[in-house]
Amino acid sequence: MATGLLKGLGVTFKEMLKPKVTTKYPDEPYPFPNRLRGIQKLYVDKCIVCNQCVNICPTQCITLKGKPHPDPEKKGRKVLESFEINFEICILCDLCTEVCPTEAIVMTSNVELAAYSRDELYKDMQWLDENDTNVREVNHP
Amino acid sequence: MIRTEELVLNVGPQHPSTHGVFRLLVKIDGETIVEATPIIGYLHRGTEKLAEDLTYTQIIPYTDRMDYLSAMIGNYSLVHAVETLMGLEIPERAEYLRVIVMELNRIASHLVWFGTYLLDLGALTPFLYAFREREKILQLFAEISGARLTYSYMRVGGVKWDVPDDGWIGRVERFVDEFQRALEEFHTFVTGNEIVQARLKGVGRYDRETAVAYGLTGVNLRSTGVPYDVRKAKPYSIYDRFDFEVPVRTEGDLWARYLLRMEEMEQSRRIVKQAVKQFPSGGEIMARLPKLIRPPAGEVYVSVEMPRGEQGVYVYSEGKPHPYRLHFRRASFINLQILPKLLVGENIANMVAILGSIDIVLGEVDA
Amino acid sequence: MKVILEVIIFTILVLGYAPFAIYVHRKLLGWMQGRVGPNRAGPYGLLQTIADTLKVLQKEEIIPANADTALFRIAPIIAFAPAFIVFAVIPFAPSLTFADLGVGLLFYVAVASISTIGVIAGGYASNNKWSLIGAMRAAAQMISYEIPLVLAALGVVLLAGSLNLNTIVEAQSRSVWFVIPQILGFVIFLIAAIAELNRTPFDLTEAESELVAGYQTEYSGVRFAFFMLAEYVYLLAMGGLIATLYFGGWLPPHPALAFIPGIVWFLLKALIFAFLPFWLQATFPRARVDQLMTFAWKWLIPLAMVNLVLTAMAKAWI
Repeated sequence: MATGLLKGLGVTFKEMLKPKVTTKYPDEPYPFPNRLRGIQKLYVDKCIVCNQCVNICPTQCITLKGKPHPDPEKKGRKVLESFEINFEICILCDLCTEVCPTEAIVMTSNVELAAYSRDELYKDMQWLDENDTNVREVNHP
Repeated sequence: MIRTEELVLNVGPQHPSTHGVFRLLVKIDGETIVEATPIIGYLHRGTEKLAEDLTYTQIIPYTDRMDYLSAMIGNYSLVHAVETLMGLEIPERAEYLRVIVMELNRIASHLVWFGTYLLDLGALTPFLYAFREREKILQLFAEISGARLTYSYMRVGGVKWDVPDDGWIGRVERFVDEFQRALEEFHTFVTGNEIVQARLKGVGRYDRETAVAYGLTGVNLRSTGVPYDVRKAKPYSIYDRFDFEVPVRTEGDLWARYLLRMEEMEQSRRIVKQAVKQFPSGGEIMARLPKLIRPPAGEVYVSVEMPRGEQGVYVYSEGKPHPYRLHFRRASFINLQILPKLLVGENIANMVAILGSIDIVLGEVDA
Repeated sequence: MKVILEVIIFTILVLGYAPFAIYVHRKLLGWMQGRVGPNRAGPYGLLQTIADTLKVLQKEEIIPANADTALFRIAPIIAFAPAFIVFAVIPFAPSLTFADLGVGLLFYVAVASISTIGVIAGGYASNNKWSLIGAMRAAAQMISYEIPLVLAALGVVLLAGSLNLNTIVEAQSRSVWFVIPQILGFVIFLIAAIAELNRTPFDLTEAESELVAGYQTEYSGVRFAFFMLAEYVYLLAMGGLIATLYFGGWLPPHPALAFIPGIVWFLLKALIFAFLPFWLQATFPRARVDQLMTFAWKWLIPLAMVNLVLTAMAKAWI
């Protein structure tokens, strides 16, 4: 009559003796696969200010400004003046890195973005440049 | 003369068993529900309207966030519509990758349903066992698509990434083999449990005519004996190449729906196993396409089988990079309409069980 | 003077037991679910409950608007005090019973049922619909299950010929433990006890997925802690009662093991039955409220009656 109940008790009892499946996340870093879409890394000098990332972004979270190249020989080319990603609305969809022709913006597998203030979620050019750990190796399929 | 008054009870939007921000206004007499009014819209983001200003590639991340438990299939429904409109030929390898991830996603989605449903019934542990298995699928997805939930993996014309070099297909195969044992464990642990059976059998019953009249799809329809599964009825992608069954039951109660979802996991497992066996060793993963996709002017409606039922996608194109109109027929939204009818006369414990058995995802209901 | 000292020491011991029980509860649940359980505060998370208690004590005292303030304040105490009082009649060791009452078992059952009033009062006074439904369920459930509980225990009383718990234990030293002649009674008693304690699969009064938190919904801080404390203390009390009635209380399983003091045996048996519900909680879903009532009135009570009659016949003829 109550065999199902007893079998259930057996399952939980056996599980108690098995090794645990949880990871010790904050104590030990969790190894994400390299392909993971985390916070972007920006190579400022690779950017050619083509604005494709701004145009493709589905949430319009990227703002960038260019200025003429300081080297007079490279006339007509531009370099970055400012670059900002608003991580309040960025959905880490990978489209900006997909369209970038020079791989100036690439993904990393860093995911820890929590902050005490919304203002801290506006990440500027310098911050994105310094975010250089766990950078994704292959960015264009 | 004893005078009794009906009590208006506001269930949700912050209630442990409404699976998100769903609100239900019920009038109860004692514990018996006299009237139930679902109130939705707390998660409405206007996906369809937003899509009118976005290119087709940009809409893909939005489909992730509709049925967020089966984002791979959500992605596919959109790209499938656009591909049908353009008459595109999809490379073989991409089709196989799509089927593998879609069916794995169906398993992952049903696992979440299994866990949360038993949580609704008051059992804590199956939830963690289900998530233990789901975690393995999410790991596989993170390796191939770079995300654990919002994959954005499909692209019009193929898939974004090829398999990672380090034996990903082998790991899928190993998971699929191991998962059989997990399913057996779930059956001994939960299906055989007398309390579960007593709670589910004969509750929340409706017949075939009602199900069809309400436009129910997916398991909610198949539990009444209608063998309708889009994968078999209107085969898309390469589903005609696999040998699988559409489980059907005739009881139309919670127990039938429970067993069907469990059986669907087994069938998806079979499909993945076959797909892995047939997986082509080389080839392209993307069709040749211009960078900016402009489908020809016209309209198209396609439907795919989501874990929760039939998802339809309607695209009206004027030949521009943006759709003129995009509409999603979301299975959860339509399945939810039968809820007020089912709840009348039930008590609060059954209310939770019935709502859980319809299996809604609020991201999809509110879109 | 000595009595007061004893009572103080005892109260401290029981208060020390509660954090331990909560710790064991969380660890067991964690292990059974493939997790490690609490492991942040102190070594192996041993201080987790202390930390939780300190947090709960600092909480702001919240009384809902239009609540019945006096009743709302007093309800946790009504629920909590009987949990301690019932220990008075439990025989911990041959000479260690606070009140060796002739009607010990009756006293236990009578005092324990006062807690129900605390639960109902708390649910009613909260001015919250979830609490009210939880309280209604509690009333129905606890009253229904008290009947099979007492009827099952009567079998033991017939065999021992006394309501005095000490006499019941001594009667078991002369024959076998009462679990053997009273196996049916024991099963009924165990089921009814779990329902009486509101543990899974009968935790309908606070059914999280249905009633948010049942009668506790509006309680927070110290008052919530009182309800929790009452729950865990009752676990030990009920474990002690089961050990006394059916497993020979302080008696060792074999006379050769008599060198181990009786209190150790008693606590061991009591703790096993106090922690058994945690295992059930990790395994079972919740029964439905109508099934619960049907089960009590149509199955447990008739079975308990049959058990009683059989015991009486056996007593008369053998």
